[in-house]
Parts: sequence; structure tokens; C-alpha cells
Amino acid sequence: MKIHRQGMGLRLDLLVFMFVVSISFLCRTVLSDLVLSKVDRRADLRSQIVRVISTLKVENGGSNLVSEVLLAFPDKQVKYLAYLGATSNGGKGKAKDFTNSLPVQVAHPKDMPSSLTFYSVTLPKGLAKGESFTLDVLAAYTHALQPFPEKISQAEIQLLVFQDSSYFLSPYAVKFQSLSVKLPDARIESYTKLDNTKIHGSEIKYGPYENLPPFSYSPIVVHFENKQPFAVARELVRELEISHWGNVQVTEHYNLNHGGAQLKGEFSRLDYQSRPHVRGASAFRHLVAKLPPRTRSVYYRDEIGNISTSHLWGDSKKTELEIEPRYPLFGGWRTAFTIGYGLPLHDFLFESQGKRFLNFTFGSPINDLVIDTLIVKVVLPEGSADISVSTPFPVKQSQETKISHLDIAGRPVVVLQKTNVVPEHNQYFQVYYKFNSFAMLREPLMLISGFLFLFLTGIVYIHADMSISKSSPSYLAKLQWDEVRAAVQQVQNIISRCITLHDKLEASLHDLARTGDIQACKAARKAADGSLKELTKELKPLLASLQSSQQAAQILPKVEDLIVKEKDLQERLLAKHSTVVDCYEKKIGGKEIENRVALHQQKISVLWQEVDDLLDFIDEI
Amino acid sequence: MAPKPITSPVPEVWYPTLAVVMLAVGLVLTAFFFIYEATSSRKTRSLAKELTTGAVASVFLGFGSLFLLLSSGVYV
Repeated sequence: MKIHRQGMGLRLDLLVFMFVVSISFLCRTVLSDLVLSKVDRRADLRSQIVRVISTLKVENGGSNLVSEVLLAFPDKQVKYLAYLGATSNGGKGKAKDFTNSLPVQVAHPKDMPSSLTFYSVTLPKGLAKGESFTLDVLAAYTHALQPFPEKISQAEIQLLVFQDSSYFLSPYAVKFQSLSVKLPDARIESYTKLDNTKIHGSEIKYGPYENLPPFSYSPIVVHFENKQPFAVARELVRELEISHWGNVQVTEHYNLNHGGAQLKGEFSRLDYQSRPHVRGASAFRHLVAKLPPRTRSVYYRDEIGNISTSHLWGDSKKTELEIEPRYPLFGGWRTAFTIGYGLPLHDFLFESQGKRFLNFTFGSPINDLVIDTLIVKVVLPEGSADISVSTPFPVKQSQETKISHLDIAGRPVVVLQKTNVVPEHNQYFQVYYKFNSFAMLREPLMLISGFLFLFLTGIVYIHADMSISKSSPSYLAKLQWDEVRAAVQQVQNIISRCITLHDKLEASLHDLARTGDIQACKAARKAADGSLKELTKELKPLLASLQSSQQAAQILPKVEDLIVKEKDLQERLLAKHSTVVDCYEKKIGGKEIENRVALHQQKISVLWQEVDDLLDFIDEI
Repeated sequence: MAPKPITSPVPEVWYPTLAVVMLAVGLVLTAFFFIYEATSSRKTRSLAKELTTGAVASVFLGFGSLFLLLSSGVYV
């Protein structure tokens, strides 16, 4: 009870102040003629984020058209306020969707106490006299639950203090109101008892209260048990890298803190291992991240390396990643890690009116995480221009560049920064930019030019004459030897062409035997004759150059031998060809032809063998 | 006009196949290039042939290595 009284005392100053304020305001003219005919507030304290959903029924009692409703928050609460959203009430039982909401802005109305911050909600249409409108307001607060005591030992259970007003703080008169506080299923240490206070299990109900003037305030304090670990990311850097080759790479650097009651005394691993639910109830064991479907190549690591304590499963709607820190995290303890994953491009990147845009969620995929500072970096491909960002809530924007794989100038990076982020901020934001598809060829062209440079270096190296002394005997000998080699290669080339012609002649003979077409055979012979003559002519200067060179002395006899043998072979073949054609013209039978050709044939095969051997020999040199 | 999703110009399932095929062709051409450089003598060498072989080989190697990077998860 001592704790209770402390909280009360703390609040008493404010109460007095507020009371004075409300009295002073009662005397003045009321801001507008609006009256809240019914206010129903539900505060959810089951997680580390305090979510207060207020259903307001606004009624216009005056004669002027009203299109704005003011919401008042004391500065103490505004400090913790992370998210404020308003939406028109769709009736009971309907899921509240605060993403498609009414616009909410900070307002500075005249003649209002400076210790209050006002937000104005714009109604979809103005309220005429006597009309009413029902809206839901969601306010999410972070760090609003104070651990008390602030330090606990490993075996103790975390206790939290929540402070609020049992009356709805409003610049308007409230006719009928109630507040319900939903607590986790655990012991309640104490709570402020006012008239009309009821408790149902883990829910405390204040009210209903009727006909309260504007700025009514009555502080309440709830002191309760909560075993939930408070995952607070002091800083989260999310990097989204777009590749038009089919991937959005997400890298998230977490700097995590347990924001609950701090651990007092020493930590006993033995106690923790043997009875984890008693000795270490508020330590967190794992975090669950809900990733988009078709996520691939997920990793979880820190500065040391891969952390193996993670599980991944998924279906067509989502991918779930469960990660465990390297050690259990107690109050005040910290850890830092990185998770990364790839996403298919076509789920997040779209084209509309000549511009491309990325459509991605802003917050962290980890459930129930409070982020003190969130930095989202969108790395666009190199060559993107005309960048613009559209976010559903105000963020700090800046630009930088990042050098990544195969970049020259660096990629443009859009940096979005926001403090105090809750899961309600997991809304889609868009980054628009212009990009020419041909700019995608930049990377392959860079690789190609790299390889081309290698080949060009090779060519230059082979072609360059690196010798220092151009007149030394060994250099000259090398030059001569090169010439000899070139000449021998040319000779080889010519001989092989001759051999091809020989094969053609043989083939023509086969054709003749098959079809008996003498004319075709003669034509083939004529063509071959011409070619062979030219080749023989070409051989002459080569042979002359070889004969004149000293270096060629060794190889020359072989080459000469080859040329002679080839010539012989050629003559034999031609003779055989003539004989066969002659026989066909005279219509001499097959047996006779064979007899006449037999001698030639024998010689030809011997010569053929010899030419082959010589060619092989020269090749080896 | 409704936003149109943007996809990769080449289906992603083709990346490993393209990488293997293009790198194989590229390496064969590279081998041919270097064999030609080493065996042909100063007189018989033709610069045009060297340049074309080098250029074609580098195109294949360039695209091959790009697809190798993409298929191994390095999205450039």
C-alpha cells in the first residue's frame, strides 16, 4: 500500500493543478459547442505497449457546422505517445482498422493551458446542429509502464505501475463515460479505488460517470504483475536493397535491450536452467519475426558469426522466423544481432505512369517490439533518378550514396528516420523513382570489359617485342627461327590442302564406280588439277626461303623429302585417275580396271604412309 | 492504370543453367584463344582473329559470371 500512496502523492500535484485549470475554464466560454455524449475507454496493459482505444460519440449542441474534434493529452503522456490514430466507428464486433483512418494533426488552439498538447481529428463531413458521429481513437504509449521496484533479483517477479485518469481528459463536457483496464492474467498488487470501481478477474472497471465538465481529471494508479519480457530496440537499421535482377534484399541490424525491471544481484545459470519459469520468468528466450511469404536465404548472425538457435517455417501467406539470442536476456541486458533475407522483386516493386515504386512495410517484422530509433534505408539501383517518398506518417528524410557490387558512382540511398516506433507503424510506404531498363546492362558490361581487358593484355604481351638488345645473335637467331617456323607451317598447310584435294579425287572415283557419270568425274579432275598447280606454285618461294635460312638446316631435308613424296603421290594418283576414267570410257570391265590400277594402288598406299609419317615428324619439331 | 509488378528480364530459375552454359562456352573460347596465342608464330598470327575470339569469349564469360553471381545470391 505504501507504493500506492507514493503514486497517489506524485499525482496529487497534477490533480490540484488540473483542478485549478478546469475551474478556470469552466468560467470561460467553451471551445466549441461539441459535447461528448458517450466515451468508452479500454486500456490494454497486457504487453509492454499501452494501447488505449477510446470510442467517442461526438454531438454538436451548437448551431455552427463543426468538422474537427480536439483530443487533449497531458505533456507527461505525450512524451510516451508513439502512435495516435482515429477512425470512424464501424459498429461493434468489427475489426478496427486504423490504417485507413481520419487525418490527425497537432493543433494549437487559443487560450488553452500550456501543459496540454492538442490533436485535432478531421471528421469525414461537418456536423450540423444536433448531429452526432462516433469515432474510435487508438493511442499507443511506449515506456509508459514503469517497473516498480526498478530492480529485481532473478527469482522475483516484475511489477509495473500504470498511471492515468479515470475521467477522460477533454476540452468538451462528457455526459457519460467509463474506463476499463485490461491486465495480464496475474496478481494485482494494488489499484486506486474510487466510487464505481469494479474488478472482474483481470479487468478493472471505472465508471460509469455522468455529466462531467471539461478538463475533469481524477488520477488512478494500477500496480500489477507482468512476466512479459520487454523487447526494446534502441536502434534498428533496416536496409532494403533493390536489384532489378529479381530481388529485394532486406538487412536488419538490431540493437536490443530488455526494457523491463533491471536485474539485481548475480545471475545464476544453474537456477535458470533448472527452473526457467520461476528463476528468470521475465527473461526473454525467443523473438518471433513475421516475414512476408516467399522469403528466401534467411540468415541470423552477429559479430561473432552465425547464431544457430533459430527456426524457420512458412506457408503461402507468411514466413515465420523464431530467433533466440545467444544468452537469456534479463532486465537491462543488451544484445546486438543482424537478420537478413531476400524477397522476390515482383511482390514489392511496381511500375505506374512511367515511374517505378517500391511498396514496403515501414516497421520491424518482430512481434511486439518497441523501437526507439528506426532508420530505414532504401538502396535504389545505380542510375535511379527523380526519387520521391510517400509515407503515411511524418518521418525525417535524407539521402546518401552507397557503393555496392559493381558500382561506379554509387547507389542513391533514401534514409527515413523515425523515433518511438510501435507495431502500429507497420504500414506501407512508397519510394518512387525513374529507372531506364538499359541501365541494367551496366553490370554485365563491366564484367565483359574486365574480361576483355584480360584478353587485350594477352594480345599486347604476345605482340610486344620485349628484348632489350635488338642486335644480339640470340635475338637474331630467334627471329630467323620464327621465320622458319612460319614457313614450315605454311608448307604443312599447303600439303594438307593437297591431301584434301587427293581425297576429293578418290571420292570422285568412288562416285564414278557407283553412278558411271564420266563427265562429273572429269570436271572434278579438272578442278583438282588447277588447284594442285597453284599450290605447287605457292610451295616454291617457301622452299626457297627455307633453303636460304641457316636455321632451317636441320629441318630442311625432311621438308624437301615431304614435298617430293607428296609430288610423287600426286602424280600416282593422277595417273590412277586417268587410267580409271580411260577404262570407263572404253567400257572395260571392273576386273580389268583393278588389274591395271593395282600397281598404282600399291605405291599410293606406301607413299600415303610415308607422307603421314613425315607430317607427324615435322609437327613434333 | 493499375500498378504493374516488375520482374527480372530473365526468369530467375534459368540463372544456374545460364551460368553453367555461358561459362563453359566462355572457357572453351578462352582456351582456344590462349592455345592460338601460344602456337601460332609471329608471321601466321592474325590480329582480327585474336580480337574476335577475345571479344566473344569475354561476352560469354561476362554474362556467365553475372548469372553465376545472381544464382549464388549476390544480386548485383
